[in-house]
Amino acid sequence: MKTQTITETLTGRSVQLFRLTFVSLGLFTSAQLWASDGNSELAELKEQLKQLNEHQKQLEKKLEEIENAPSKTQPVTQSNTASNSELLKIGLSGLFSSGYSSVDDDALANLQAGGHDPNRNGFNVQNVELSILSTVDPYFDAQANLIFLVDSEGETVVELEEAFFTTRALPAGLQVKGGQYYTEFGRFNPQHPHQWSFVDQPIVISRLFGGDGLRSQGARISWLMPTDWYSEIYFGAQNANGETVTSFLFEEGEDIAGHTLEEIRARNFSDALLSFRWLNGFDLSDNSSLNFGISGLSGPNSSGTNNDTSVYGIDAYFKWQPDYVQRGYPFVSWHTEWLTRRYEAGEAGSLERETLRDTGFFSQVLWGFQTGWELGLRLEKSYSNGEDIFDPFRNDRERISTNLTWRLSEYSKLRLQYNRDWAEHLEEDTADSLILQMEFSLGSHMAHKF
Amino acid sequence: MNIIVKIVFLICLLASYSVSATIKIVTTTQDLASIANIVGGENVEVKSLTPGTRDPHYAEAKPSMIRKVYRADLLLLIGADIEIGWLPALLRSARNSDVQKGSRGYLDLSSSIDLLGKLKIATDRSMGDVHAKGNPHYWLDPNNGILMSQVIAERLTELDPENKESYRQRQSTFENKLAQKIVEWREKLLPLKGKSVVAYHKSLTYLAEAFDFKIVAEVEPKPGISPSAKHLNKLVNLIKEQNIKLLILEPYYEKRSSELLSKKTGIQIAVLPQSVGAMPEIENYFDLFDGIVSELKIAGNF
Repeated sequence: MKTQTITETLTGRSVQLFRLTFVSLGLFTSAQLWASDGNSELAELKEQLKQLNEHQKQLEKKLEEIENAPSKTQPVTQSNTASNSELLKIGLSGLFSSGYSSVDDDALANLQAGGHDPNRNGFNVQNVELSILSTVDPYFDAQANLIFLVDSEGETVVELEEAFFTTRALPAGLQVKGGQYYTEFGRFNPQHPHQWSFVDQPIVISRLFGGDGLRSQGARISWLMPTDWYSEIYFGAQNANGETVTSFLFEEGEDIAGHTLEEIRARNFSDALLSFRWLNGFDLSDNSSLNFGISGLSGPNSSGTNNDTSVYGIDAYFKWQPDYVQRGYPFVSWHTEWLTRRYEAGEAGSLERETLRDTGFFSQVLWGFQTGWELGLRLEKSYSNGEDIFDPFRNDRERISTNLTWRLSEYSKLRLQYNRDWAEHLEEDTADSLILQMEFSLGSHMAHKF
Repeated sequence: MNIIVKIVFLICLLASYSVSATIKIVTTTQDLASIANIVGGENVEVKSLTPGTRDPHYAEAKPSMIRKVYRADLLLLIGADIEIGWLPALLRSARNSDVQKGSRGYLDLSSSIDLLGKLKIATDRSMGDVHAKGNPHYWLDPNNGILMSQVIAERLTELDPENKESYRQRQSTFENKLAQKIVEWREKLLPLKGKSVVAYHKSLTYLAEAFDFKIVAEVEPKPGISPSAKHLNKLVNLIKEQNIKLLILEPYYEKRSSELLSKKTGIQIAVLPQSVGAMPEIENYFDLFDGIVSELKIAGNF
């Protein structure tokens, strides 16, 4: 009873307040209208006369100009014909490599577990990607990336890597993305192979997100926050099942630390793969900038009926360029990510029940020392609790990679990379690999993601 | 209750703020920012996305740019694909429908300029990074600066009709001053008239057009392709044969190739500011040509 009265008074007061605001706003606008109406006729005439005078002066001046002008000063409106390339941007990028390792193909497949990694001694077609993007209408942009690759068995694989829309006109800094897309977790995961700074993906990415990176069907909303620096928050929900969500409802029959995965369907909507990301960007000076992000994932896994997985990550990216740069050189960039996974494995109450923890990081520095030339160094470490030293996806692994990239133009590059692996499951405990990579890109000039 | 009062107060405050606020202009280069600043005066607030020290074609798209574009009322761009490597992605991330292509807040200045070097025949990239839509470095012809100021004033008037008179006056003051300066610059560069010059990149064509000199060769064999020893040797012969006295380039290009040519042929090198902000003393569009003219006079020894 008491609360009711309070709410009533509250509503009553706020209604009054709103009325007051509306009345004052109304008064304000009508006052403005009235003021402009009062002297309007006289003012209009004066204005017209003034405009006529101005116009005459302008014409005289124009005449003078045309007579004396050194060259043309007439605006040419719409004379530059629009080309059809604006309507549909199509690009094709090809990524090929030739690599040799001190270990055989079977061992190499475990070291290079990424779907686009050079995982065979000899030649590899790492990735051929067809991208189509455009603006749908004033409300949406859309994009599709189809990939073609030849796997280690020599089979051609075609995948709908991504196909999604993003909104253009939502208010308040909001944007919705929907379809099939790479989860915006960390900096590396959403990157495509031709954007990588090394020929292969980091070990920890292969361990937690599988060979293809983490991508699935779903939707996310992001909010560009009204802060003075760049700060954006993402919330997403995606389907938790399939071969591209390996830490969650991965395919039946697959194996994680000795636990065979069962066929488990999502029980309800809360069984979706939920994702979160907070990304910040700062200009440290005119020449350097820093991005810093934290990301999180949560969803069910298929090692038991009621098991969950969560993944957390921190990522940082720093870039420095001097005042004068030619074609983007010189520069120094530094990219580091740390990821950790908590995985409930085995049926609850059973003897096999355990919680797996897998952690890893990579840190890479790129030095663009001369126009078109880059030198890279990457350090990596991955480890797990209760590890089985013979499990190549959970044992201690370390790797140092160094490479030299030559971008002949904006549209082609050559890259030579050396990897030194330390892994307990290898006979010799170490492996050395040398890979030469070539990339070309055709068609539309695709904008680079920062 | 208190909260409601605060919210209403805040809404009113925001509303009044947006009524009296200046027009927020974001430009892709400092040249556009300088002209927009002069034409817009106190009615506008201008920010450039890239500094004049950088080649806008290879600018770095940074997250801080997203915030600037998100808050903008008007986006001015050079166009003709010069910003293609970073602006489309930036516009997709900036979620500001007021400045998307096709909106009144999106102004591509290249659509008002008669661009040089438009390709009428089909091309492929074996010719290097050719801009089929035409050479986008048109701000280096000061006559185009006049056109740019006219188009900017027109658009500002559309967006903010109340201050129409102010934009018109400022534009015409700018135009008159620039027209006078053009005469002065042309007089100073008279000794260069009809002379052959070597440039580093195909970006100074408009400058040559405006001041009547000829660019007969480039240090780059093809746009965006680094010079080879073979190409440099050819240039040495050409410079000697035609007795070319001047090599011009922007401050961000490597100087080793040009210095090599200078050592072998005695050709003089002039490092020209290509944009407002390219050098600390180049603060506006007038300074830009003052700077170019004085560099050319020093290197050309006239």
